[in-house]
Amino acid sequence: MRRQLRSRRAPASPYGYRYRLDDQDEANQNYLADEEEEAEEEARVMVVPDLEEEEEEEGQEEEEEEIEEEKEEEEGQGPPTGNAWWQKLQTVSEYLWDPEKRMSLARTGQSWRVMIRPFAHSLNFNFNVSEPDTWQHYVISLNGFLQGYNDSLQEEMNVDCPPGQYFIQDGDEDEDKKACQFKRSFLKNCSGLEDPTFGYSTGQPCILLKMNRIVGFRPELGDPVKVSCKVQRGDENDIRSINYYPESASFDLRYYPYYGKLTHVNYTSPLVAMHFTDVVKNQAVPVQCQLKGKGIINDVINDRFVGRVIFTLNIET
Amino acid sequence: MVKKTLEIYSVELSGTKDIDQTDKGDGKEKYRGLKNCFEPKKNHQKEELKKELDLDDHKLSIKELEKKYGTNIITGLSSTQAAELLAQNGPNALTPPKETPEIIKFLKQMVGGFSILLWIGAILCWIAYGIQYSMNKSSSLDNAYLGCVLALVVILTGIFAYYQEAKSTNIMATFNKMIPQQALVIRDSEKKTIPAEQLVVGDIVEIKGGDRIPADIRLLSVQGCKVDNSSLTGESEPQARSSEFTHDNALETKNIGFYSTTCLEGTATGMVINTGDRTIIGQIASLASGVGNEKTPIAIEIEHFVHIVGGVAISIGILFFIIAVSLKYHVLDSIIFLIGIIVANVPEGLLATVTVTLSLTAKRMAKKNCLVKNLEAVETLGSTSVICSDKTGTLTQNRMTVAHLWFDNQIFIADTSEDHSNQVFDQSSGTWASLSKIITLCNRAEFRPGQESVPIMKRVVVGDASETALLKFSEVILGDVMEIRKRNHKVAEIPFNSTNKFQLSIHKTDDPNDKRFLLVMKGAPERILEKCSTIMVNGQEQPLDKSTAEAFHTAYMELGGLGERVLGFCHLYLPADEFPESYSFDVDTMNFPTSNLCFVGLLSMIDPPRSTVPDAVTKCRSAGIKVIMVTGDHPITAKAIAKSVGIISANSETVEDIAKRLHIAVEQVNKRDAKAVVVTGTELKDMSPEQLDELLTNYSEIVFARTSPQQKLIIVEGCQRQNAVVAVTGDGVNDSPALKKADIGIAMGIAGSDAAKNAADMVLLDDNFASIVTGVEEGRLIFDNLKKTIAYTLTKNIAELCPFLIYIIVGLPLPIGTITILFIDLGTDIIPSIALAYEKAESDIMNRKPRHKKKDRLVNQQLAIYSYLHIGLMQAVGAFVVYFTVYAQEGFKPSILADLRVEWENGNVNDLEDSYGQQWTWYQRKYLEWTGYTAFFVGIMVQQIADVLIRKTRRNSIFQQGLFRNKVIWLGIASQIIIALILSYGLGSVTALNFTMLRPQYWFVAVPYAILIWVYDEVRKLFIRLYPGSWWDKNMYY
Repeated sequence: MRRQLRSRRAPASPYGYRYRLDDQDEANQNYLADEEEEAEEEARVMVVPDLEEEEEEEGQEEEEEEIEEEKEEEEGQGPPTGNAWWQKLQTVSEYLWDPEKRMSLARTGQSWRVMIRPFAHSLNFNFNVSEPDTWQHYVISLNGFLQGYNDSLQEEMNVDCPPGQYFIQDGDEDEDKKACQFKRSFLKNCSGLEDPTFGYSTGQPCILLKMNRIVGFRPELGDPVKVSCKVQRGDENDIRSINYYPESASFDLRYYPYYGKLTHVNYTSPLVAMHFTDVVKNQAVPVQCQLKGKGIINDVINDRFVGRVIFTLNIET
Repeated sequence: MVKKTLEIYSVELSGTKDIDQTDKGDGKEKYRGLKNCFEPKKNHQKEELKKELDLDDHKLSIKELEKKYGTNIITGLSSTQAAELLAQNGPNALTPPKETPEIIKFLKQMVGGFSILLWIGAILCWIAYGIQYSMNKSSSLDNAYLGCVLALVVILTGIFAYYQEAKSTNIMATFNKMIPQQALVIRDSEKKTIPAEQLVVGDIVEIKGGDRIPADIRLLSVQGCKVDNSSLTGESEPQARSSEFTHDNALETKNIGFYSTTCLEGTATGMVINTGDRTIIGQIASLASGVGNEKTPIAIEIEHFVHIVGGVAISIGILFFIIAVSLKYHVLDSIIFLIGIIVANVPEGLLATVTVTLSLTAKRMAKKNCLVKNLEAVETLGSTSVICSDKTGTLTQNRMTVAHLWFDNQIFIADTSEDHSNQVFDQSSGTWASLSKIITLCNRAEFRPGQESVPIMKRVVVGDASETALLKFSEVILGDVMEIRKRNHKVAEIPFNSTNKFQLSIHKTDDPNDKRFLLVMKGAPERILEKCSTIMVNGQEQPLDKSTAEAFHTAYMELGGLGERVLGFCHLYLPADEFPESYSFDVDTMNFPTSNLCFVGLLSMIDPPRSTVPDAVTKCRSAGIKVIMVTGDHPITAKAIAKSVGIISANSETVEDIAKRLHIAVEQVNKRDAKAVVVTGTELKDMSPEQLDELLTNYSEIVFARTSPQQKLIIVEGCQRQNAVVAVTGDGVNDSPALKKADIGIAMGIAGSDAAKNAADMVLLDDNFASIVTGVEEGRLIFDNLKKTIAYTLTKNIAELCPFLIYIIVGLPLPIGTITILFIDLGTDIIPSIALAYEKAESDIMNRKPRHKKKDRLVNQQLAIYSYLHIGLMQAVGAFVVYFTVYAQEGFKPSILADLRVEWENGNVNDLEDSYGQQWTWYQRKYLEWTGYTAFFVGIMVQQIADVLIRKTRRNSIFQQGLFRNKVIWLGIASQIIIALILSYGLGSVTALNFTMLRPQYWFVAVPYAILIWVYDEVRKLFIRLYPGSWWDKNMYY
């Protein structure tokens, strides 16, 4: 079991993830593989005996030692693998923090931060409808990204949980958590199922909005948070119509809270697809997509990804 | 004589010497002191200078003078003439030594030390910004901003250092400022009082006793005028002046009064013949300023240190620049790394700290009567290995005091301590009664009235030195002397003169039944004895036979051998029948007997050593400092004083002593047997530099007697050839070249002339040798403490540097920002490093040898290695632990941090995943990065608290030193914590500063590492104490 634990750590290293961002094409294939691999491993992981809720400071001290050792490990001076207490310590550290109570996590900003897909190194979407080369990489990126949302996969791995409420899973913090299904087909015209070019070939691009994962974060109950996009500066009529999928244009509560990637392995971030069906062509249109709802902050100046995202569309024909 | 003066001071100029022309009368030979060394170097400059300095006004008649200067001795100059001349020749004042213009001083501070490195950093920042801006108009202002901060740091530290220096110069300036001198001048036929500065050549001035002579003047009419030329020629006796031309040489002739000398008594009228810099003193002063000031040892040390640190900074910077470029970093980024490395490496605040530390010590020394003019001189005194000290006033009390008495065939010792309080000799003998009466009555000195409340020894007396001594002596023993004199009415008196060599007075006695007159006499013992036929023993008169005469001679020789001035005393009761009460004594015809008197006793006087001096000399000895006495006095007196203060220790002998003891000729004595030597100026004059070197190395106890102040320069140079750090004391104008030449010149605050004070680095306010010793102690302490300060400051540089290196190589998110580093260097670390200056000495620093200029460096290898590689690395590890803790608790475990840099800093990546799968926007990461800076900063700060505590001692355990003896350290620690708290919680919201509000528990993460540092250093010190001289001691003691 311990060996497995360690092997599970490997894909958690930043390399796998970064690949996904940098090199969409290849990484997208890997993404699924990663997830599967992890899932398999996860399945084999035995439940680690209960860890009592620790005093914060105690926890911190242990963490500190742990870090020291991890650093040493990095430098290749780590103790031998067979050392029992070392492994024990590692096990402890893996599950040290309490994701629910977020004891060892100090992230202050518990607000919606969003990001869009396709990711293309910048937030300017420039393409020429008649030249597939200019938009092909968007399509590949989206396609890759949505592999994990394939209906078959979702049905196989995840559960269909009731909408409109948190999907709270009690139990030990180190217990594997189930994830709610978010099927690719929810995205309708932007799922790439019917139109494999996600509308780029017709000058009606799809852009997916996803929320940054925050461990333990729960959106406020009540009215679901809605997405709405409009022209940020300039003529409002530059965008004449936008379709949102799912039609509610909101993130359902059942996808929250997130328990962290160690236990919540198959978690699929909910998405809202924005289908810009009628945008002025041949000019740059700055678009601001905001989250609207109770208690949503979307006007922070320093961080322009809090509750909103700003990008430009420049569709040439 | 003008030429002679020139020769004295021409050491630095031309070295012109001419033995024949400078030949002078006996006792004046001292002026030729430097002649021999430079004799071969005669050259043409001599003529030129001679012409320039030629002064022949003393040879001219009054009429010729009037013609020459277009003046009239009755009406003086007219105001218009005077104004013209003033405009033409400038004011009558010495041009102060050339001062560096303030702006140059300021600019020097701006580019000195590390400043240049920081300027380079700032300029690189601006260049980087410029390039970024030209490529992308909306590029961030970070680099331009950092450049400004760096420039600001340089300017602020520069201003601070400049201010500190200006402040210490100001102390001196106020000290120098004299009451504006006034001169009484005849102009437009009127007597006017004008500021002496406005005197011009041709002015007729009047001077009286107590005045300082306002310019070089040719005396026209003189009434009993005596001047003190000691500051000019070193002659301590008052010189009589007259209006006659007495000597070819201007310095010798009596009709010239010199600028800045003092008129002691009488009045005179004179014509101004030279003003300002053209006066003799002015010429000497300007020559003295030609002697280059040596670089102080501490300046050399600091330069050495700057070179080390600068070298390390630049080489690491360039090395990593190359590494960064070859790791395919952008050149612009590499430049930014370079700047970060430089900033991390340079202890920005250190030089300011050193300045403050030095000025703190300077203040402390000023309290102990050492006024330091040049801050760096504070430490110089500590490394002093030779002190050339004056005798008069410095080693001695500078007043004649009765030291011994001889009566009843016995020598009695009088108390010569500063207050005379403890006179223990037998006062019951009848001889003493008679002797005391003579001492009291045959004395013209008087106390200035109105001093009843002043202690006797401090009262001002009108009269010469010996009479003053006798007056005070009798006042202490007998009580009210003036009252006794009143009761014994004086009817006649012959004052002392050099032909008679005696002084005599005749009194009515205070016994109403005794109608006899009492004749009392004192004078040179042999002359007094000649006049006596009887001698008083135990109150009874006995005929003076051969054996008593012999006893007298033995006593006289013995006292004379002690270097004391001996006076003989005798008396005679005049028979009442021959000299009835109405008898009229006539001192001119001497209608009374002056022979067949009754000899009563001898009394000897000396300028006794200050009571603190022997102790101070012993301290110098144990501190490995050689004390050389340089005096113009007679060798015997010099030797006696040297023996009594311990400059010649009790059991060491001179060659002459050995010869005397063994009854052999001086030549037969093996010179190696003698430890001590007394060298006279005449002998010194004939020595070659090699012989002098030999003398200085072979003898540990040296007294130079009968030397001119000028010869001090030769002695100083001789000592410096032995690689010694030489301190010189001096007071006269002609001491100034030696004071300048010395590594540290010490001028006397009371007796010193302005020229001497100008040339000196330090002024002894109480003229006391013992103050020098306290100065030495302070100087040594400050050297030790500077070591501690530097070690403390250097330590954290590694902790600041490692983040950059690891950032470049491993690609972590930057652990600490450049600005944050500046907040450590110039914020939290400043007060603790100053506080180390208050640390007490670990052991008796006066028991070790002075440091070797070339071997005992301020920053040595051990210090650098221990600070950088031992404590510094531990600190870096501790700070990294805090950094990793923060990142891990926020979600980024160390394992994913490696090589994260590119994505981390990419503004377009706004969903970077952490170890827990959470996703971070760029700004969130930036905020976390700043939290990391703050955490790293706090980590260093906490460990610096341990660092400052371990730096309290270098050898002793911190508990031996006492944790709470230095309260300022705790103030420093408190300041560290408070500044850090303010930065994190107070300014945490100011984005530009890159500080965030840190969770409280992160403050304690580095505490175990701080404790580790402390334990490690205690172990180091323990081993050093346990195994002195071992490998450990040699390599771990800094």
